[in-house]
Amino acid sequence: MKKIWKFISSMRFAILLLIVLAAACSVGSLVTQGQTADWYARHYSQRAAAWIMALGLNDAFHSGWFIVITGFLCLNLTLCNLIRLPKLIRAAKADGRPENALRSEGDARAENVADPKAVFRALRMPAPVECRDAEGREALFSAKNGAGRWGAWVCHLGILMLILGFGLGQMTQRQYTVYGVPGQTRQIGDTPYCLTIDDFRVDTHEDGSAAQYTTDITVANTASAGPDGGSASVSVNHPAALAGMKFYQNSTGWAADIEILKDGALLQSDTLCAGEFLPVADRPQLVIMLDALYPDYAILPDVGPGTVSDRLNNPAYRYSIYYQREIVGQNVLTAGQTITVNEYEIRFVNPRPYTLIQIKVDHFTWLALLGGLVTLAGLALAFYVQPAKVWAVRSAEGGWTVFGQSRKGGALFRDRFTAAVEQNNRQSPGKE
Amino acid sequence: MLQVENTLFTLVMLICFASMILYFAFIAARRDKLARAAVALQAAGLALHTAALVCRGIAAGRLPLTNQYEFATSFAWGVSLVSLIFVLKFKFPVLGAFSAPVTFLIIGYAAMQSREVRELMPSLRSNWLAFHVSTAIIAYGAFGVSCVLGGIFLLRERMKARGFLDQHIPDREKLDVIGYRSVSLGLLFLTFTIITGAIWAERAWGSYWSWDPKETWSLVTWIVYAAYLHLRIRRGWRGRAAAIFAVVGFICVMFTYIGVNTLLPGVHSYA
Ligand code: HEM
Repeated sequence: MKKIWKFISSMRFAILLLIVLAAACSVGSLVTQGQTADWYARHYSQRAAAWIMALGLNDAFHSGWFIVITGFLCLNLTLCNLIRLPKLIRAAKADGRPENALRSEGDARAENVADPKAVFRALRMPAPVECRDAEGREALFSAKNGAGRWGAWVCHLGILMLILGFGLGQMTQRQYTVYGVPGQTRQIGDTPYCLTIDDFRVDTHEDGSAAQYTTDITVANTASAGPDGGSASVSVNHPAALAGMKFYQNSTGWAADIEILKDGALLQSDTLCAGEFLPVADRPQLVIMLDALYPDYAILPDVGPGTVSDRLNNPAYRYSIYYQREIVGQNVLTAGQTITVNEYEIRFVNPRPYTLIQIKVDHFTWLALLGGLVTLAGLALAFYVQPAKVWAVRSAEGGWTVFGQSRKGGALFRDRFTAAVEQNNRQSPGKE
Repeated sequence: MLQVENTLFTLVMLICFASMILYFAFIAARRDKLARAAVALQAAGLALHTAALVCRGIAAGRLPLTNQYEFATSFAWGVSLVSLIFVLKFKFPVLGAFSAPVTFLIIGYAAMQSREVRELMPSLRSNWLAFHVSTAIIAYGAFGVSCVLGGIFLLRERMKARGFLDQHIPDREKLDVIGYRSVSLGLLFLTFTIITGAIWAERAWGSYWSWDPKETWSLVTWIVYAAYLHLRIRRGWRGRAAAIFAVVGFICVMFTYIGVNTLLPGVHSYA
């Protein structure tokens, strides 16, 4: 049991988990996600489809095994950080005490140095403190960048926060969409809020392509409890926060007003976004659907009905008519044309873009972001704040022996140390 | 402006090629003078490359970091910059000789892309995107250099004869530490890239992480380099295993960069 525990908290297990996780992610990216068994059978093979569904590869990143791997990684990280915390605190305390360094040999050493303080300066160490070693000899000691010791620990903590923030967000987040044209008001899912689209603008570049979509919205609280709403402008890359929810400009499409006349008089009118349908008021078995709206209609070769631009030059409406759920008619109407079904006359007018707003509630985004920033800070500490110590002891004959120690510098630190000592010897050759 | 950029780009390609040839000559002829000339030429090429990017930025009215051509040429710039810094800092011209072909290949790839300046779609108009891509360039540049260093390490292990290269290539221990320096630079910037990318995705698409293939592969790359760091901590695996991971890491980088766009479907299909 103890052995298993030890393994779970070991770095060997961490490396293993990292490699397995990398492999799992790459498999998840190679298999197209979120499709049905049929789809996989058509695109890969029957056999592959069976495997994909059995292993949950169709939704790899939410599958049980993926969560188990991530869970083990978190356990491993937590244990590792808990075990290392007391050691780190002890090491940090010991760092500041010259006597610990003075007892050790260091990574680099030079004898007969005339001016040790110049070596400290050349190595960009803080001014050394004067002290005595265990045998009472004169000594100098300086340490820097002790904080760098915490880099890996901080980085590990950040990763834990990040995974926790992401995981909690995935479990608790809620998402809604609202779409429509200016003037429309819709309920936001099961919340007590409703959203009014006040305005929707599409800015274009000179070449006619879209540069920005902006929706002005007003959110109102229809219950007595909970925070109030408010008004805001939402555009791509500029979401708005209202009433504890976040509003994103997600996409756009075309909408038009449908008018149904009976015996020449207006029976009913409404706004339909492409893809929406409307039952006729006094005969609900009869349903009109706006399948698509082509702003610049043309018959395209090989494609059929389509649009040649995003400008409203020649709007046309593809519709379907259903009676008792059976399709009874389908065609394209251009501007001014009408459909006649029995005593009803149907037409589409006033084509215009609609806006689709995505609404999201995720109470843990901040934790994931904070985790990311902590990870970043940890990495910066680990990589660029490298602890180093330099100390010097005066021998009975008067010459100094200088020692240096660096946690990460290795051969590069020894090179710098040697260079610093050589420079010093060149500058004061007389005393050598 | 674009005309100027075009001319500068062609010039950069030529200089990059010339500097590569000089580096090779340095190794073949074993003359230190040639190395100095190659380094100087590389620096000149880098300066012109910077000028070319600035011209394009002015012409487009934004940072030139949004399509395949712009990213490829910036990527080459990043590799050249980081390798030059490492060559100078560690007095290691052989590194320049091995990095030059990598830079040249990426410039060649850039040359094959369309150089048209196009208007940006709404989701690409973001300062976070600018941070995202510029940090990616440094990260990719640093990883390119660490891959080259890993390669040199593995090559050095095979080399038996002592001689010219032996004097000009640091010993295994030092190579390993220099490799660590480049990986750590790369990983720090890759982390920046992923975080700024997540912030941008949240603002543009409403979701900061959606496991699209490009995101996933940047995570795979990140994990591979994290594994590299832990391998290095165990003494026995420092050196050889780490060098292999540095090479594998860069293969992941290249896959994230090119493979994902061409082989896998995803939101990032435009860049
Ligand atoms: C996603 C997972 C992980 C990441 C990204 C990560 C990242 C890091 C980084 C960046 C460092 C600093 C390396 C350096 O300074 O060169 C580090 C060091 C270290 N990691 Fe991890 N780590 C992870 C998981 C783990 C786990 C699970 C363990 C526990 C067993 C662990 C144990 C260590 C140890 C012992 C060090 C050395 C600390 C030191 O040098 O002071 N790591 N890690």
